[in-house]
Amino acid sequence: MTFLKLNSLRKHYGAVAALDGVDLSVAPGSRSAIVGPSGCGKTTLLRLIAGFDVPEAGTILLDGEVVADAQGQVPAHLRNIGIVAQDGCLFPHLTVADNIGFGLKTSREAKQARAAELMEMVGLDNAMLSRKPDQLSGGQQQRVALARALARKPRLMLLDEPFSALDTGLRAATRKSVADVLSAAGITTILVTHDQQEALAFADQLAVMRAGRFAQVGAPRDVYARPVDAATAAFLGEAIVLPATVKAGQAQSPLGLLPVDERDFEGQASILLRPEQISVDRAEGLKANGTVGEVAFGGSTCDTRVTLDGAGAFSFRLDIPNRDMLLKGDRIAISVSGKAHVFR
Amino acid sequence: MSATTDTRVLTAPRYRLPAASSWTLTIAVVVALLALLPLGFVLWAAFATGWDTAVQLIFRERVGDLMVDTILLVLLTIPICTLLSVTLAWLTERTDLPGARLWSWLCVAPLAVPAFVHSYAWVGFWPGIHGLGAGVAISVVAYFPFLYLPVSAAFRMLDPALEDQAASLGLAPFAVFRRVVLPQLRLAICGGTLLIGLHLLAEYGLYAMIRFDTFTTAIIDQFQSTYNGVAAYMLALVLVLCCFVLLGVEAGLRGSRRYARLGSGVARRTRVARLGRWKYPLLILPLVTAAFSLGIPALTLGHWLVAGGAAIWRMDEIGLALGQTLVICLIGGFATTAAAVPIAWLSVRRANRSSRFLEGCYYLASSMPGVVVALALVTVTVRVLLPFYQTLATIVLAYVIMFLPRALVSLRASIAQVPVELEQAAASLGRSPGNALWSTTVRLAAPGAAAGVALSSLGIMNELTATQMLAPNGTRTLAMAFWALSSEIDYAGAAPYAVLMVLFSLPLTWLLHHQSKKIAGR
Amino acid sequence: MTTSYALAAGAAVLGFSVLAFSTSASAQVADSLTIYNAQHEALTKEWANAFTEETGIVVTVRNGSDLEFANQIVQEGANSPADIFLTENSPAMALVDGKGLFEPVAKDTLEQVPEGFRPANGHWTGVAARSTVFAYDKTKLTEDKLPKSMLDLAKPEWKGRWAASPSGADFQAIVGAFLQLKGEEATAEWLKGMKTNFTAYRGNSTAMKAVNAGQTEGALIYHYYYFGDQAKTGENSKNVALHYFKHQDPGAFVSISGGGILASSKHKEQAQAFLKWLTGKGGQKVLRDGTSFEYAVGKGEASNKALVPLADLQAPKVEPSTLNNAKVTDMMTAAGLL
Repeated sequence: MTFLKLNSLRKHYGAVAALDGVDLSVAPGSRSAIVGPSGCGKTTLLRLIAGFDVPEAGTILLDGEVVADAQGQVPAHLRNIGIVAQDGCLFPHLTVADNIGFGLKTSREAKQARAAELMEMVGLDNAMLSRKPDQLSGGQQQRVALARALARKPRLMLLDEPFSALDTGLRAATRKSVADVLSAAGITTILVTHDQQEALAFADQLAVMRAGRFAQVGAPRDVYARPVDAATAAFLGEAIVLPATVKAGQAQSPLGLLPVDERDFEGQASILLRPEQISVDRAEGLKANGTVGEVAFGGSTCDTRVTLDGAGAFSFRLDIPNRDMLLKGDRIAISVSGKAHVFR
Repeated sequence: MSATTDTRVLTAPRYRLPAASSWTLTIAVVVALLALLPLGFVLWAAFATGWDTAVQLIFRERVGDLMVDTILLVLLTIPICTLLSVTLAWLTERTDLPGARLWSWLCVAPLAVPAFVHSYAWVGFWPGIHGLGAGVAISVVAYFPFLYLPVSAAFRMLDPALEDQAASLGLAPFAVFRRVVLPQLRLAICGGTLLIGLHLLAEYGLYAMIRFDTFTTAIIDQFQSTYNGVAAYMLALVLVLCCFVLLGVEAGLRGSRRYARLGSGVARRTRVARLGRWKYPLLILPLVTAAFSLGIPALTLGHWLVAGGAAIWRMDEIGLALGQTLVICLIGGFATTAAAVPIAWLSVRRANRSSRFLEGCYYLASSMPGVVVALALVTVTVRVLLPFYQTLATIVLAYVIMFLPRALVSLRASIAQVPVELEQAAASLGRSPGNALWSTTVRLAAPGAAAGVALSSLGIMNELTATQMLAPNGTRTLAMAFWALSSEIDYAGAAPYAVLMVLFSLPLTWLLHHQSKKIAGR
Repeated sequence: MTTSYALAAGAAVLGFSVLAFSTSASAQVADSLTIYNAQHEALTKEWANAFTEETGIVVTVRNGSDLEFANQIVQEGANSPADIFLTENSPAMALVDGKGLFEPVAKDTLEQVPEGFRPANGHWTGVAARSTVFAYDKTKLTEDKLPKSMLDLAKPEWKGRWAASPSGADFQAIVGAFLQLKGEEATAEWLKGMKTNFTAYRGNSTAMKAVNAGQTEGALIYHYYYFGDQAKTGENSKNVALHYFKHQDPGAFVSISGGGILASSKHKEQAQAFLKWLTGKGGQKVLRDGTSFEYAVGKGEASNKALVPLADLQAPKVEPSTLNNAKVTDMMTAAGLL
C-alpha cells in the first residue's frame, strides 16, 4: 500500500537539472530517509512535496489524491503537510506558544492547551511557552518546530536536515526523541539529510540520491550491505572495493578466496568489503599478508593504511583498535569474515 | 641577569584604559552636549518665560488651530504613506512586476526633489491648491520614500523559509502576509513613519507655499515679526513636545525587542509572486506614484524653463549660489561625519549602556526641527557666544545636530564590518592603540564615511529653514535663492535653482538606494 | 591614534575659529558695508550694484524681513555686524530708534528728503514709499461694490471675500497706522472682524495672485506688486485692478521705507555716503527707472510714470517714528492672526 507516490518528477534551475526523473513510493506510517550529498536535489524534492515549488513534469499523489501534476497543483497551505526545517524556522516575532498554535484555527484556550500537550510530547518544559524563540537553545528550537508541525496532525511530516545545526551529542538524542514522537503519532515521515548515519538509523526505507536521481531505494541494511555501485557504497560508509574473479559463489581477490553474495554470477567484477568485516593479526598467516603504512593516531582507534603483498600493491585504510599498537612497517596477516558483495 | 630583564619589563608604560577609548568618549560626550543645546534652550525658554506668560501664549485659539492642523496632517499622511510604501515595496521586491528594478529606483528618486520644490511644482500645476488636502497630498509624494527605503530593505532581509513554513501550517497567501510578513516589517515601518512624522513637523517651505499653517510655519512667522520673541519660544516648546509624542508613540509601537534572525541557514532566494493577469493593471500604482512625485516636478520645471528661456539663467548669480551651496555642503558633510566618528566607533566597539545612551542623545537632538535648532543657536550665539554669531561655524553646528544620524548609520555599518581582530593585529605589530585604530578601522571604514558625507550633504543642500536663519551675511544658497524668487512668484526665475538642486541630489539618492540594498544583503 | 585624534581635534578647533572670525573679518575691510536688508532683494541688489560701481565700496547684503531685523539689531546691540538697515516700512525703524541704536543721519542727506518722509529727530530717513491699495478682481467687482473704507472690510458683508498677508511687515505697518489713527479699541475690534472675514496668504504677491485666479475678491496689499507684474508678463494680474481708498482713510496709508546707520557701525563714513547716494539722484533714479515701482521720495525726484502721483493719494498723516509694531504683533497674536 502506498501513501505518497512520486512519478518521474523533474525540475530545472536554469540549465541545471535539480530533479531528473524521481520516482518514490512511501508506505503509510513509515519513515523514509532521502540521503545524498549537498546539491543532489533532495531539498528541491522536499519543496515539491510540500508545495513550495512546482514540478515541471511528473505527478505527486498523496493518499490517492493528485496534489501536483502537469495540470496544476494544490497550494502548500491546503496540503496539510508538516515540515521541520534545518534551523527550525520559528517565527521570531511570536512566543513559543504562539508559534505552536500558529496553524490552529481554534480558540485561544484550545491553542494554549494543545501547545502545552505538544510541549510535553516533545519533552520540553511548559514554562518555556511564554519565551521568544531566540531565548531557546538550538535543540529546543527544533523540538518546538516539531511541536508546531505536529499541532495540526499533518498527513505527512517532512524533516529537512532538522538535526544538522545541532551539536554532535545533542543530535543523536534529538533524533531519537523525534523518531519516537512521530512513531507514537503514527505519522508518515520523510527525512532529508546528507548524514548517512542519521539516515541509516532513522529510516525504514532509505533512498540514496545523486545528481537529481535516486541511485537506490531500499531497506537501510540492504542498501548498506548490497549497494548498486561503488559510489553508493562509498557514500554510506567506508568501502573497500577490490578487483576479483567470481565463480560459484567464491571470489579470487587480493585478499585471497572470499565467499560472495552471488551464487550465479561468473566472471570479472568488483567486490565490496566493509572495514568491519576485516581483522588483522601481527603474525603472518597463510591467506593474505600486508604491510602497515602511515598510522594516524585517533584516540581509541588508529587510522591505518594497509598495503597488500603481491601484484598491484593494493592498499586501503582501516580503523584499527589502539591496543594493537601497530607501527609503520609492521607485517600483518589479514582475515575476512562474512561475504563480499559483488557489483554487477 | 634574569632579574634585570624582569625590571625592564616592569618599566614599560601601562595604561589603565586604552587611550583611544577615553579620548573618543570625551569627544563623543562634547558633541552630544552641543547637539542637545537646542533642547536645553527650549527648556530654558520655558522656564525663563514664566508660567503666566507661557499659559497665555500656549493656551490660545491660534495654537489650538495649529495643533489640529498638525495632528490631522500627521494622522492622514502617515497611514497613506505606509499603505503606499508597503504596497510599492511588495510589488518591486516580491512580484514579477515588469521593470521592478526601475520602479524601485523611481520610488527613491523623489528624495532628490526638495519638499518645497514639490510644493512649488504642484502650485504651478494647480494654482489654487492649498490647505490640509494639499498638504497631505504633497507630503505623501515628497516623503513616502523614507518609508519605501526601509520597508523594501526589510522585504529583502525576510527569510522566505518563514513564509513557506506558514503556508505548510495551513495559511493562505494573504494570511501569510498579514501574520508573518507584516509583523516582521514592523520595525522598518515604525522607523520610516517616525522619520516622516518628524519631517512633517519640521518642514517649512512645503506648507508655506500652499498656505497650510503648522507649528513650524507659525514659528517662522513669529520670527519674522519679532526675531526671537517669547511667542516663538512657546510655539517651539509645543512643537518639541509634539516631537516627543511622536518619539514616544514610535518607541511604544516598536516594542523593546528586536527580532533576532534565528539559526544560521542561508537565506534562500525569495520566491517571486506571479501577478498573472494583474501584472499590467498593478503597474498603475507605481506609474501614478511616479507621475505625481517625479512627473509633476519635471513638467513644472520644464514649463518654467521653457517659459523663462535664456533670460532666467543669470549665470553670475546662479554660479555664485551653486558655489556657496557646494562649499557649505562639503564643509557641513565632512564636519557631520567627523563628529559622528567617535560615537560610531564607540557604539560598535564599546557597546554598553553608556554608549547606547549617548547614541540616543544624538537621535533625540536630530529630531528637533530645523527651526528650533536655528532659533536656539541664534539666541545662544547673539546673547552668549558672540564670536560665533552669524558664522559658518554656527550653521555647520546646526547641520551637525540635524544630520548626524545620517552619517552615523553609514559609518557604524562599515565600522561593524571591520573585524576588531585587525585592530588587535596592528597592536600586536607594535602600533599604539590610537595608531592601530587609525591604520585599520578608520581606513577600512572610509567608504561608509564617504556615504555619510554624501548623505548629510544631501540634507544640507535641501535645507532651507535653519540656513535662512543662521547663514553668515552675504550667503545665498540654491535653496535660499529659490525660496526668495518663488516667494515673489518669480516662478521662472526660481526654476534653474530647483533644477540644480535636483541634479546634484539625484546621484546622492542613488547612493541611498544602493546603500539600502547593501545593508539588506549583509 | 591619540596623536592623530588630538591633531584632528586641534585642526577642527582651529578651522572653526578661523571660520568663526572670517566673516567678521570680512566686515572689517575698510571699504565695505554690511546691509541688513528687509527691502525687496532685487531692489537692494540694484541699489548696491549701482553704488559699488560708482564708489568702489563693496556691499554685503543679508536679506530678511523688517521686524526680524529690527529685533535682531536690538539683541545684537553694540556688536551688530550691520552698518546699514533698510526696511520696507517705518515701524521697524521706530523700534531700533527707540533703543537709541541709530547714528543720526548727516544733514545734507536729510535735506534731500521732504519732512513728511522722515522722522523729526533725523535718526533715520525715508528712502522710498508705497501706498496701501485694495487689489480686486475686476471681473467680479465693479467700482460701486468696492469698500469705501478699510473699516468696511471688517463688516459682515465682507466675510470670506478678501485676503491679506498678516505675517508680513507690510500688513503689520498698515495695522500700525490704523492703530495710530483710530486707537487701540477700534483696532482690536477691526482685527477681530478681519480674523472672521479674511483668508491668509503668505506674501502680498501670493495674495494678488489669488485675486487674479478668482480665489478671493480682493486683497489689502501695496500698490507696486500690481505694477511690477504688469511690467513683466502680467500673467498674475490680468484680472486685477487697484482701488485707492484716498480721503485720509487708514486704507490710504502711505508707508515709508526707511534707511538708517547703526551707531555700532565701524564704517560710518561709507554708510553716510550710501544713504546720501540712496536718497539722492543715484538711488532715486533706480526707483524711477527700475522694476521696483516703489515711490521715489527725494526732493524733486519723480516716481515711475505708470504710478498714480504720490500727491494724489490723499494719505492720512501718520508720524513714522511712533508706529509701534510690538503692540501690533501683540494685538495680532491676541486676535489669533499670528
